[in-house]
Amino acid sequence: MSPVTWYQFVAVLLLGIGLFGLVSRRTLVGMLISVELTLNGAGLSMAAAAQFTDMDAVMGQLGVLFVMGLAAAEATLVLAILVIVSRRVKSTQTDAVSQLRG
Amino acid sequence: MELAGKIIFWFYAVVIVAGGGLAVTSPNLVRAMLGLIATLFGVAGMYLLMNAPLLAFMQLLIYVGAVSVLIFFAIMLSRASATGDEGMEPGLWPNVRAFLAFALPMGVLGLTAFLAPPAGVLVPAEVDPAKLGQALLGEYTLPFELISIVLLAAMAGAVLIAFEKRGSK
Repeated sequence: MSPVTWYQFVAVLLLGIGLFGLVSRRTLVGMLISVELTLNGAGLSMAAAAQFTDMDAVMGQLGVLFVMGLAAAEATLVLAILVIVSRRVKSTQTDAVSQLRG
Repeated sequence: MELAGKIIFWFYAVVIVAGGGLAVTSPNLVRAMLGLIATLFGVAGMYLLMNAPLLAFMQLLIYVGAVSVLIFFAIMLSRASATGDEGMEPGLWPNVRAFLAFALPMGVLGLTAFLAPPAGVLVPAEVDPAKLGQALLGEYTLPFELISIVLLAAMAGAVLIAFEKRGSK
């Protein structure tokens, strides 16, 4: 098997671990950590495809950089939402914020 | 891959999987964050191994440097109990549910990667960081500017959401 397949296996495993955490975690911070794992899996997969196949390596690497930028933006927003939720609901358990109210 | 490359690859793979496992199963959120940081270091090592040093250093700067600090702020600001009420939910069904979320995408994607492997090359592409910079300012200017706007909007939005007027309480 070519190296790209091995890297893809690790990336898929990372994605799976992230999804596992996303479902099993019960607080918003735990879910945030899981989302970061998932995004890392995506970045690893893209970088492997860029480096070990015939596609344009510059495009692939820039794509990974954009994923990192989006992950940073997402983490910032989740932090803000978390501050609001913990201030209003006094808890960041996901069960406590399962109801929407206008 | 050469033998040394294989050994290093498996070392990083073990670091990634062990860190990820700690990140999703540890009842203590600070330990979970440490697991996440181990995983991030492992992924940075894999970027180095596949001859993409700029990605590796950006991974260290952005993820290990910034995002993990943000997560630490999140843990502290949410007053999450450091002693761990964050374990797995009791009962069988939540475990089965989480395992399905893990196994179904993994099965489909892993099987696809195994049965229809992409035509890979053995030697990773060599990309000069200067070339990446030129592409950012030439061919990919629009995504580059867009991502800066997204970051600015996220930052301003975060301040706007979390801002509290002094006399409002």
